[in-house]
Amino acid sequence: MRPGWALRLLAFCGYALLLAPVIVVALISFSAGDFLTFPPPGFSTRWYEALFANGQLMAALQRSAILASVVAVIALLAGLPAAYAIARLRFPGRDAIAMLIAAPLLLPTLVLGLALLLALQPLKLAATWPGLVLAHSMVALPFAVRIMTTAFGAVPREVEEAAWTLGATPMRAALRITLPIAAPGAAAAGALCFLVSFDETVISLFLVGPRLSTLPVEMFRYVETRTDPLVAALAMALIGVALAVVLLVERLVGFNRALGRS
Amino acid sequence: MTHLRLEGLTRRFAGTPHPAVDGVSLELPRGALLALLGPSGCGKTTTLRMIAGLEVPDTGRVVVADRDVTALPPHRRNMGVVFQSYALFPHMTAAANVAFGLEMRGIPRAERQARVAEALDLVGLRDYAARKPSKLSGGQQQRVALARALAIRPDLLLLDEPLSALDAKLREGVRDEIRALQQRVGATTVFVTHDQTEALAMADLVAVMNEGRVEQLGTPEEVFERPATRFVATFVGRAARLPGKVEAPGVVHCGAVAVKAAATPAPGASVELFIRPHHIRPLAEGHSADNALDAQVLRRTFTGDVVALECATPAGTLTAELHGGTPGASAAVGSRLRLGFAAQDVRVFPA
Repeated sequence: MRPGWALRLLAFCGYALLLAPVIVVALISFSAGDFLTFPPPGFSTRWYEALFANGQLMAALQRSAILASVVAVIALLAGLPAAYAIARLRFPGRDAIAMLIAAPLLLPTLVLGLALLLALQPLKLAATWPGLVLAHSMVALPFAVRIMTTAFGAVPREVEEAAWTLGATPMRAALRITLPIAAPGAAAAGALCFLVSFDETVISLFLVGPRLSTLPVEMFRYVETRTDPLVAALAMALIGVALAVVLLVERLVGFNRALGRS
Repeated sequence: MTHLRLEGLTRRFAGTPHPAVDGVSLELPRGALLALLGPSGCGKTTTLRMIAGLEVPDTGRVVVADRDVTALPPHRRNMGVVFQSYALFPHMTAAANVAFGLEMRGIPRAERQARVAEALDLVGLRDYAARKPSKLSGGQQQRVALARALAIRPDLLLLDEPLSALDAKLREGVRDEIRALQQRVGATTVFVTHDQTEALAMADLVAVMNEGRVEQLGTPEEVFERPATRFVATFVGRAARLPGKVEAPGVVHCGAVAVKAAATPAPGASVELFIRPHHIRPLAEGHSADNALDAQVLRRTFTGDVVALECATPAGTLTAELHGGTPGASAAVGSRLRLGFAAQDVRVFPA
């Protein structure tokens, strides 16, 4: 059915509402002025030039990208077996474990950040790479497990059973048959974990230190002390990274397939 | 020589009042094709899955070639299974699907390729080796699944409703193909179906199952002509069913008349008579039969090669099926005739 004009108008209004702030930020990022004002007094690319020349922010961007990549890999490596077990195996405590893995999603991030600081401080892991990786992985893991549980669950059981009857051990069947079929889901899960870590602010605020800070934290601090449009240009850069990741997944596997709805 | 032996297989699923499979025992000679025939939920698929090792029996044994395999997991049983959904690996080509089982057995690449080609040749799909399952028709997918199962040279070939996903036109052809292939490679085969025509046409032995039990194990002719239980008589083929009471050995009082039957329970028992439509004949003038009844045609149904005459008789309503052109086939609705049938064609079961 083709949508009628009323529905189109409604959809247009909805998208306009969602995207309006982004458009404002995009316009300000090209401002020629010195302050975060709208409408901008004129247009230029000076704030993008300033952004790329800002060593502190660029270093933070690099750190965040590396951190997000490591977190995505760890969340996938830990999440894949967990998701497989939850989707396929029957064992006592299965539901409890599934709940436990999802628990970080339910806690307020502020509480989680404080708890992590209290837990990591005595271990001398606060404001360290391992500490950040651990904390971010913990937040990203529920997303990886949720998406992969769905992806594994969508692989027909009979396909795996067929592999067994052909002589594959359960392990080999999982690696050679089930995992490749669920690969689009794994790509989506990896991308989402990357973005979760890349955007994570609140928990990072608790765990970063003077020599180890992430981009969202730097951005937050920047806005606390300055009011120039550089931060708008930075926001556009963040959107650019997120868009690039989504497009990459779309290119590789198709996003709808990756999320299991085709 | 017995190749497959099931001994008292029983499987009960949690939360169900009755066992899905309840003490199934049977023997199958090497090279034979056994059809497990029954309505949905009768336990035929669960039985097949226990033979394959995909389901663990609560009690009972699966013995293949005198070896007890009950405790073996599926990957150590060497059984070729064709699933109802075919269960092809969607990310692999037809050839890779067929090669998978050989690869798992550590067969070297050269021999593997030769055997894959051989298996695909066997099902006539050599030219489709490089295609993914999504680029194959339903019938072709089915044949890839068959080739994949046969390539490992299985001890047993297990087919779970392999024809049900095909459209009716294809089914008969594929049915004959599977049978021919099975006989050519001599694979001992168990075939699950709810379709009696499939079972009767393909099988050397038919096990009719109901509520987890084997009601009758026999050749297709035995099961069809000499059903052992009331369920088998009802499920396999069609029959007129008449209530009656045994008067004397071999005589059942039925409606207003006495009907002669070959075997009856003790006199006095309430019974049900089963008479197959093709055993009932119109009697020409001066001819007789064990049972001869006056009849009036209530309804006449023409289905091409067969004419069904539904008739009122003193014993109850009987349907005779006649081939076009045989005497009586042209009888009009309302006309009177005499119907006859032999005592041995009347099956009697306790009601």
